[in-house]
Amino acid sequence: MSKILSQKQISTNQSWDWQIVLGIFSLFISVLIGYLLTQSKGVVGIIWVLSIFAGFTLQKSRLCFASAFRDIFLFGSAQNLKGILLGLFISTIAFSFVMYWIIPNPELGSIPSDAHILKTGLSTIIGGVLFGLGMVISGGCVSGSLYRIGEGYVASFVTIVGVIIGLGLLSLTWNWWWDNLISSEKTIWLPAVNGIGYSGSIVITSLLLLIVLLACIFTETKSGQVNFPIQKSDSQLISFRDRTKDIFNKFFSREWPIYVGASVLGITSMFMFMVSHPFGVTGEVFRWSNGLMKLVDISVPVHKGLESLSGCVANASENSSIITISSAMTIGVIPGSLTAALLSREFKIRAPKDLKRYIQSIIGGIMMGYAAGLAIGCTVGSFFSSIPSLSLSGWVFGGSLAVGAFLGVQVIKKI
Amino acid sequence: MAQARKIQQLDLKGEICPYPMMLTNKELDENSPGIEELEIITDHSPALSTIPPQALKRGYDCQIEEIKNGEWKILLTKQVGEYD
Repeated sequence: MSKILSQKQISTNQSWDWQIVLGIFSLFISVLIGYLLTQSKGVVGIIWVLSIFAGFTLQKSRLCFASAFRDIFLFGSAQNLKGILLGLFISTIAFSFVMYWIIPNPELGSIPSDAHILKTGLSTIIGGVLFGLGMVISGGCVSGSLYRIGEGYVASFVTIVGVIIGLGLLSLTWNWWWDNLISSEKTIWLPAVNGIGYSGSIVITSLLLLIVLLACIFTETKSGQVNFPIQKSDSQLISFRDRTKDIFNKFFSREWPIYVGASVLGITSMFMFMVSHPFGVTGEVFRWSNGLMKLVDISVPVHKGLESLSGCVANASENSSIITISSAMTIGVIPGSLTAALLSREFKIRAPKDLKRYIQSIIGGIMMGYAAGLAIGCTVGSFFSSIPSLSLSGWVFGGSLAVGAFLGVQVIKKI
Repeated sequence: MAQARKIQQLDLKGEICPYPMMLTNKELDENSPGIEELEIITDHSPALSTIPPQALKRGYDCQIEEIKNGEWKILLTKQVGEYD
């Protein structure tokens, strides 16, 4: 079979493009803000810098949880999911070290309170399925939409507006869920179960990841997914200048493989965990929802039990100051991806022509917002940070996301 | 050059995943006896890795070219010869 794929980079005679200049400027401003925050608010500044780096990583590797779950069902490709599996494995090891440092003896009954060890039960399943459906309909999850705002995607902005509305609706109905469901659910932390301990939990998590990996490979084989060689029309690197430029390009302008992105994100999340709590983005959006509702005189109920929980939504619930750890963690993603997009000259205001896409964005966003509230986090907080926290909820949420994504694929095939 | 004949173009600017790939597949699958050459314009970078495998599966070669900042042209050409 002769399969040819060639890729040509734009001819860069004017190598000092305005996007690169703005990118350097944006990087400088972001780091400066980080420095000022560290001076005045300590940990908030560190989280800001890590979040900028997370946004940068998300854009460079185009890490997309929505496509990871969707593409398996849509066309049998597991490229994204396989990358995420490696990221999960690496963060499981990394998080375990941090948790061991906090709680050396898991048998004694206490759990690391800042890890994303969440309630596991029907609320996790409903949240996961609804979130999975929403992210496929809107075309991106919460973190995906956040970093795409930085790249100039108008529809992603509409999605985040939907998420704010969805979290607002959840906020108004939270107490019903708490009384009828969540209060009676349990948090299950693997190391504390029947003396499984850390090593047992790592083995179980690794085995589960391996099973999912094999299922991915099986799906790809069955669908006849082809991998293709890329012929790059790179010229030979001879001069010092060309060689230096090539290193710069590899880091700043070319795409990072998905497995690199997912692994770097996992390690970044571990650093966030070391200074505060693991990566998550919905908590801050929940705060915005509540703030906006108060602004237009909608009375926000006192959320029962939320303070006793860990995870994104719970972490951010009661804090009246504007600049907090959760705001730095969420907002930082946008300048991070903006910087990455500018440095690779990929920033562009992109607006869909079809009105249908905006409707999909807002509806999908509302579904995700409501679901993320119910599950105390999104694909990042309740999945990507929760499985490495050795919490059973991460697996239940992940499985439910897959069910939701499957349903979503049936929906988008029809519209 | 032999660029006189008109190449069919599919403008997918503004569309995000999975639509660039789905709309390309639809275009390739629904036109019989088959498109010789198809030029796709996209501003969604993930499409650069989703469209080619699907096109290769359908017997097309792909050439990706960055035409301006954040915008790419994917040229699909029907494979010729004795290969499958």
